[in-house]
Amino acid sequence: MSLDSSRSANSGPQNSKRSFNSNSSNNKDNSSNSKKRKSNQKTLGMAWGANSLSTSRSSFRSSPFSDFGSYMVEKNRKLQNQFDAEASNSSLSDTSTKPIFRGVSIFVDGFTVPSSQELRRYMLNYGGRFENYFSRHRVTHIICSNLPDSKIKNIRSFSGGLPVVKPTWVLDSVAVNRLLSWVPYQLDQLASNQPTLSTFFTSKISPASEGVFADAICEVKHGTEDLCLKDASKDAKFSEAGEPSEWRKKITEEHDELMHGNTNSKVIEEPSSSYSEASQEVKVVERSNLEQDDESRENNRPQYCPEQPSASVSSHCFDNHSVKGSPHSTALGPLKQCHSTLGDPNFVENYFKNSRLHFIGTWRNRYRKRFPSLPNGFKCMNSHSDVSADTQKTAIIHIDMDCFFVSVVIRSHPELHDKPVAVCHSDNPKGTAEISSANYPARDYGIRAGMFVRDAKALCTHLVILPYNFEAYEEVADQFYNILHKYCNRVQAVSCDEAFLDVTDLEGEDPKLLASAIRKEIFEATGCTASAGIAVNMLMARLATRTAKPNGQCYISPERVDEYLDQLPLKALPGIGHVLEEKLKNRNVRTCGQLRMISKGSLQKDFGFKTGEMLWNYSRGVDNRLVGTIQESKSVGAEVNWGVRFRDLQDTQHFLLDLCKEVSLRLQGCGVQGRTFTLKIKKRRKDAGEPAKYMGCGDCENLSHSTTVPLATDDVEVLQRITKQLFGFFHVDVKDIRGVGLQVSRLESVDTSKQVLERNSLKSWLMSASASSEERCDVSSIAKDRVGTDTEGKSMGGNSGVLCTDPVGNSVLRTNNTSNGDGCSNQILSIPQLCHLDMGVVESLPSELQSELNEMYGGKLVDLIAKSKGQGENSTGSLCFHPPELSKEEAERSHNSDPISLSRTAVEMMGKQHILEELQTVPDSGTGSNSNAISIQALDNNDLMPSSLSQVDTSVLQQLPEELRADLFESLPAHRRQEISTLGPNRDNLHHPLCINQPESTDSGLTNNLWIGNPPLWVDKFKVSNLLMLRFFADMYYKSKSAENLSSILQCTIAESLHPLDAKCDAWNEAVHSFNELLMEYIKLKIVVDIEEIYVCFRLLRRLSTKSEFFLEVYNLVFPHLQDLCFGKLNTFLALEFSILTSLH
Amino acid sequence: MERKDNQSPRGHIAGILVEFLEVAITSVVFLKGIYSPGAFERRRYMNVVVQRARHPQLRDYIHSAVSGLLPFIEKGLVERVAVIFFNTDNIPVERFMFKLTVNQSFDSKVEESDLEFSLRSFLIKLSVSQPLTKVLPCDCRWEITAYFRSLPQVRNSKDTELWISTDTKQWQQPPLITPIKSMNSEPLGVQLFLEHPSPSEPKS
Repeated sequence: MSLDSSRSANSGPQNSKRSFNSNSSNNKDNSSNSKKRKSNQKTLGMAWGANSLSTSRSSFRSSPFSDFGSYMVEKNRKLQNQFDAEASNSSLSDTSTKPIFRGVSIFVDGFTVPSSQELRRYMLNYGGRFENYFSRHRVTHIICSNLPDSKIKNIRSFSGGLPVVKPTWVLDSVAVNRLLSWVPYQLDQLASNQPTLSTFFTSKISPASEGVFADAICEVKHGTEDLCLKDASKDAKFSEAGEPSEWRKKITEEHDELMHGNTNSKVIEEPSSSYSEASQEVKVVERSNLEQDDESRENNRPQYCPEQPSASVSSHCFDNHSVKGSPHSTALGPLKQCHSTLGDPNFVENYFKNSRLHFIGTWRNRYRKRFPSLPNGFKCMNSHSDVSADTQKTAIIHIDMDCFFVSVVIRSHPELHDKPVAVCHSDNPKGTAEISSANYPARDYGIRAGMFVRDAKALCTHLVILPYNFEAYEEVADQFYNILHKYCNRVQAVSCDEAFLDVTDLEGEDPKLLASAIRKEIFEATGCTASAGIAVNMLMARLATRTAKPNGQCYISPERVDEYLDQLPLKALPGIGHVLEEKLKNRNVRTCGQLRMISKGSLQKDFGFKTGEMLWNYSRGVDNRLVGTIQESKSVGAEVNWGVRFRDLQDTQHFLLDLCKEVSLRLQGCGVQGRTFTLKIKKRRKDAGEPAKYMGCGDCENLSHSTTVPLATDDVEVLQRITKQLFGFFHVDVKDIRGVGLQVSRLESVDTSKQVLERNSLKSWLMSASASSEERCDVSSIAKDRVGTDTEGKSMGGNSGVLCTDPVGNSVLRTNNTSNGDGCSNQILSIPQLCHLDMGVVESLPSELQSELNEMYGGKLVDLIAKSKGQGENSTGSLCFHPPELSKEEAERSHNSDPISLSRTAVEMMGKQHILEELQTVPDSGTGSNSNAISIQALDNNDLMPSSLSQVDTSVLQQLPEELRADLFESLPAHRRQEISTLGPNRDNLHHPLCINQPESTDSGLTNNLWIGNPPLWVDKFKVSNLLMLRFFADMYYKSKSAENLSSILQCTIAESLHPLDAKCDAWNEAVHSFNELLMEYIKLKIVVDIEEIYVCFRLLRRLSTKSEFFLEVYNLVFPHLQDLCFGKLNTFLALEFSILTSLH
Repeated sequence: MERKDNQSPRGHIAGILVEFLEVAITSVVFLKGIYSPGAFERRRYMNVVVQRARHPQLRDYIHSAVSGLLPFIEKGLVERVAVIFFNTDNIPVERFMFKLTVNQSFDSKVEESDLEFSLRSFLIKLSVSQPLTKVLPCDCRWEITAYFRSLPQVRNSKDTELWISTDTKQWQQPPLITPIKSMNSEPLGVQLFLEHPSPSEPKS
């Protein structure tokens, strides 16, 4: 109401005006506005006053307010004061919050989650404002979850052009502690309604997309969109009428410019277009054959950089260059198709296939698998270490292959041995691919790892660049380690080409000789050279190798350590990186000798305890580390920060899925599962331009979120879910993402949780049911119970399987059974057990078994009892087990036997009991011939899959997750599904002998089967029915939105006009009957828990019955039963005004 | 109205239920217009607007009645809670029946937001169900009655004393019911329906 009043105050002449002066009207001072409003509001106020209950004319006049408008002004002022007072209080009490909402003033419209009061609190605490009454001048954002259609249609008059945002915007902003852009949080209803610029562009321009410029245009579109978005977030007046046209103008201008640029450099269009794709979507470029293409794209880069569309002006000056590059690109044009990301959904996979770092990273696991037993051998090191501290006997060899990545590749090219060679993804001379390794001749030219190819080529024009050969690396690394392990059993692998050996124990041998022997053998075996350093500890050995390289070895005796270190530049020490070096340099420390001058305490003070100690130790050549095993990896993950460009959320999700797959594979490769998941995102810094490295990540902010789950996992789906959720925390524009990494930590060995691995499909889950102790699902614990407590349950199994079998079914069942294995049969059997649970048996079980059983059923048992009691609702408290309607004979027997043996006999008894029941009911359904087969099967005690769903307690089924249910149904032979309803025993009937009046419907199973499954059985049944009416109704099931409820299906039926079956025919009765059956089952299903649903259904039925004779008959037939049931269950009648309808109106 | 923390899930559920009943019963009383609208004030509960009795006695009656039920609900003894409106002859004219089912063996953590969502729908539906109800005769009386599954053992604790067995007149014929709302959000199921005397009920 409040909104209405102030809004209508604004409407009228002012409204039309608003759309023209977008900004200026905001800046108008309040006084002129309020004046204007006053004149408007006079009438309004009076109207309101007349309506209001207590305000009489006189009291209104005597009040200090001349009219309603001034009253509201005063009220708003007071509210504001209150808010301010509260805000200052809350901000005083809580200094930790920062005023992220400064300048934001929200108005909450309608029902929101969280409530408006909570939103108000957030505003209070975080420096925002909260308006109780809408005012276009004070409010900056309208918060609402949902809008009525009328407001959507007339959104401008509702919102006054202000952003309409979902409440999560506030929450998320609070969560990340900064004001987020509201744009992604725009109300969905609006967001989909509003024509976006992109649609404008695609509709208008993309017809030309066959043309050469299409992609470039697309890119402009993106650029401009970006800008628009940015602008929109800054300026809430984005949607003001005047603005878009301005924008359009700008865009077209820009577009023109670009077109211009394009015509000038026509030849590059091809590559540039492929670039534009790349820039928005992840792209894999297979370096081996795409470098040129790649390069020319790079040249085009500055022109088509999507973040700066204006840069396109500069395209002219690039003309020459690009024309030069064009031959390549045209030649390779067709190639790009198959390598562009748009065509390559396997970006992540390919990325890692081509990644050296990935190779090194995953090599470790490989290594560990190859030499798994070794770690144990090192345990004795402790005793040794005491000695090693003071003796000089310790001898460590550090061995390192010489420029591993190059030499492995060129070992088959002897002619290249003395030529400068480097390994890199791409040998494009202009490219920004990084050199990963260079051989010594190349290093002489100053070529270093990490250099861009173009720089390297500039240093050495005849540099040969070769691609990786991962298979060869693997092979050589394996040979390398085989040799090391042959000589010494204490090997610490550092990397695929580098290791420490502790040869102290090999007393007899001179470490120097040993080292040369190893090196020799390595060379003979692999054709690659290795260098070795020998010293008393790992640090010195490593430093020695540095001196030894290439292809040499160096021994640093303990006496020479000081001398060696004295002039050693600090950077040579492991653990000292750029930052530390820089810090030390500032203190004029450049060598170890200088470092030694500084006291340990001072170092620790300046660099932290650990680093300080390390510096002190290392500068003296002290290294207490022991040659040990590879450390257990603490985390497993994958990160991609090259080539990551997303166009929209969908790309991102797709990418995340791939990443999850990769991580999952890695986890499985390491045989671990993790509990903590960290998603890292590299986000382009606001001011960062396009990175120098092609497709690189450039200057990025690193963001990360992590979460821990209770159960370790390596399952892709779980990973994906978690990742999606984590990604949701970030709130970054996907276009700004330059790198994504997923890391899994808190690893657990997979062996412990192996059984839980494939829990998703019923089958696999069945197999492990007995083994896994921590299944959450009730049913599995039932299964366990089944297997655990009574192993002789086979007899029972046979029985339950028997319940509806015919000869044909048997064969099917058997094959099913064998394929699924034993566990399977046990499992399925165990589900019926719940409904078969004989309370007499349960009661007489030993008490501990009893409680265990109850626990396993997770309380379902209690439900079951309550259900089986039927009308006995009013009797006693419910926590004790009471026998339902047992046959006397059985009850007696079970009471007579002693508790322990009883459980067995009782189960058997129960089984027999069921056979009896079965034999009695089956002939009823007219398939008498089956009974023979049944009894035979029963005697044979075959382990059959119980195929009858009638064995299944519906309450249990309903509690089962949907996919489980589906699995369950799948595992039934197909023809079963239909038979069930007709063949199944009438368990329900036994307990609720209520619907006696209708012999047909009682006979053919009121077993609540029709409503089991997804879609429920009746849908299938009706679908294949030859009755038009039923088929029609089955169709309705699919049409209705929430098909769980009959009411929604009926509603749908009403909506679709029909009279198809009103002509009486033979099928009429059958249809009515089937429908009755359906209804009766539904009533039984719902009457206790959801009488409202039944009520709604019958009201709908009544409405239908006015339209259709068919429904009239159905209604008249079922209604008495409904009332019967109501009376039975609730001791009431449903109030449907006229109970029996006689004819059509 | 504040809930106690560190309760068992069952106690927690019972707490929520009792709190909800208090609000819902107040809404019913407001709906029937027994008292002037001035006796109520607008309040927000579960993020919807509800009524709250302003008169201390009225508020107290409802509050103490439902909070007296707490121990019984916790034990699962209460089957229904009814708000019964009588005419001057003390014959019930209309009953609002809350049928409660609390899964006693539910032991895991309660999804409070789900529960809140379901209960909220009651309050919303209740506020618009005026047309379903009957116009009450003037000078009518109302009371809160609870139907127990079994009579609780008489204990000397204070909470049981609040509730006394009643000899409220019942209809002789099974009543007609009009369901208003049903919900089932594990472990709690609540159904609300209106009960009216059946047309064949002998008029006295």
